[in-house]
Amino acid sequence: MKTTSQRIAQCFSNVFPNLSLDEIPRASTASVAAWDSVAHITLLSAIAEEFQFEFSPEDFEQLISFPLIADYVEQHINHG
Amino acid sequence: MKLNDALATIKGQNQTGSAKVHFLVCGCQPLHLATFLHAYLLQRFPDNRIEILTGLYGDFFGNLSKAADSSAAATAVIFEWNDLDPRLGLRSSGGWSKQSQEDILVTCRERFSRLVTAVQPLASRMPVVIAKPGLPIPPIGHTTRTQASWFELQLEEQLTSVLVQLSDISGVRIIQHSQLQELNAGVSALDAKMELVAGFPYTVPYASIVARTWVEVLYPLPPKKGLITDLDDTLWAGIVGEVGIEGISWDQQHHAQLHGLYQQMLGNLADCGVLIGACSKNELTVVQSALKRKDLFLNSENLFPVCAGWGEKSKSVGEILRAWNIGAQDVVFVDDDPMELSEVQRSFPETTCLLFPKNDPGKLWNLLGELRDLFGKPAITAEDQLRRSSLRAATQIRLNEHQADSSEFLRTLHGIVTFDYRKNSSDSRPLELINKTNQFNLNGRRMTEGEWRAALDERDSFVVVVSYEDKFGPLGRIATLIGARSGPSAFITHWVMSCRAFSRRLEYHTLECLFRHLDVEEVEFRFQATDRNQPLQDFFQHFGVHLNGSPTCRILRSQFLSRAELLPHQCHILNENH
Repeated sequence: MKTTSQRIAQCFSNVFPNLSLDEIPRASTASVAAWDSVAHITLLSAIAEEFQFEFSPEDFEQLISFPLIADYVEQHINHG
Repeated sequence: MKLNDALATIKGQNQTGSAKVHFLVCGCQPLHLATFLHAYLLQRFPDNRIEILTGLYGDFFGNLSKAADSSAAATAVIFEWNDLDPRLGLRSSGGWSKQSQEDILVTCRERFSRLVTAVQPLASRMPVVIAKPGLPIPPIGHTTRTQASWFELQLEEQLTSVLVQLSDISGVRIIQHSQLQELNAGVSALDAKMELVAGFPYTVPYASIVARTWVEVLYPLPPKKGLITDLDDTLWAGIVGEVGIEGISWDQQHHAQLHGLYQQMLGNLADCGVLIGACSKNELTVVQSALKRKDLFLNSENLFPVCAGWGEKSKSVGEILRAWNIGAQDVVFVDDDPMELSEVQRSFPETTCLLFPKNDPGKLWNLLGELRDLFGKPAITAEDQLRRSSLRAATQIRLNEHQADSSEFLRTLHGIVTFDYRKNSSDSRPLELINKTNQFNLNGRRMTEGEWRAALDERDSFVVVVSYEDKFGPLGRIATLIGARSGPSAFITHWVMSCRAFSRRLEYHTLECLFRHLDVEEVEFRFQATDRNQPLQDFFQHFGVHLNGSPTCRILRSQFLSRAELLPHQCHILNENH
């Protein structure tokens, strides 16, 4: 069974197919050129679908890297 | 399809396949609509590379123009109320006063008119599929939401009127919205948060369903060609051999309305050109008498052939397939007896076998819907109306085919073959022939509507549409050939002929016309053997052409003249000057 981090990484890989598995844990809007506003919405929508919850409008502005997203999802799952 | 599945599908697309470019026109951010459209197109064309072009956010009408100027093969369109007037969306604060409402109606009328004008040039270049507004009109008005307001009804009236106008434009297909709602199964179309955050107003499931429907409507599966129906307890209620001709029924009074509805459906399918045959375990004379009843909703003339006897039904189905000269995969068999269905299915695994649910109105309703989907096609051609009568004639011709001098027999038909070289992109019949003909088919290659139009636009290309009629009546347009001329040679990429036209030597006439009209010394064919194109292979072998796996084969004029059979019919040629 995949860990939460692996499931998030799979979503990253689907949205950014050119990112290697090594690069994904360090990915951020600053380091990934393809991470524009459209990719951002697509990525968060894919993660929301994967974990069956919704991001709030504020989350969209703040969740700008893999670590931030992973922390957010972990917290969301744990405090459900 | 889920969003993650769609993204994974796109990630895995074949990067080296030939590109199929599509334009997505909307006023919102394309986002998941583009993702799902891309993924569903990949499902339909797994060997191709799909490219989705989009326009600018908030510029729906400008994007329609961009699509018309693009290299796309087809366009998918969705518009919402706020594309007509921003005050009907969530991102505008222009006011919903009584005065504003009147102004909104005026604006919408003007924008709807502009929509028709903008779609016309687009549809003249490529097929266009349009989804009407799926988002609700804002809750404006003094009524509760369960009571329609005058304002809402006015908008809907304008919308309906414009959809009718759009559907009249050749190349335009409108999505059936009620079917979208059914597929959406109560899931809301509107995602208000995403609209405000990202300018994308649709929920993910709704975006998926719209995109899936776009692809289904743009690239429908080839329709089935014939339906073989059981009679007792299917076409009518009762066993005619037991209750007698007056004892069978299909009306509400006899609690047999399901059979009446089914008869009406078959009558409608027959009107649309679907072949309807019957097979029944009965005495033929009894069945023939029953089919003479004047109150049948299905004209018994539409049933051909009718096979009755006491043998296995699969034998009758085989007989009907031979009479129709079509494959088992193109046929639907309907019977109320699961055992009969199973017996036919075992002999013809490719046939679609459906149970007639004689005691379940809900399931009957679903069956009728399924039949519509199996036989549905974007447009009806004149040939659809001719198919049934021409099949009867074909049966008679096949009976004479093996006579000692069949040339003499063919001459007595007084056939007239017309070769039409005029290019007409709005004529759907040649493309229909290319995409559904299997037996006399040069290579089995299918074409999209966009590819067809592009082929017509090529400078040196030519298209021949062959029509035929004889003393038995017209067969309509029964063959199509696409190619290009280069010096003394003609190169043929597509050549198909309907199986209804077999045994009349029309293929010889076609080749003769090519040599004569194009004045070429050789014709080269992009041939490929398929599981089904043996009739075409036989034709080539008649000229001594060796089909040894090479991607092309050729016939020289001298070769043709030395081996061509006697040509029995009169020929006419139509070109741009006629």
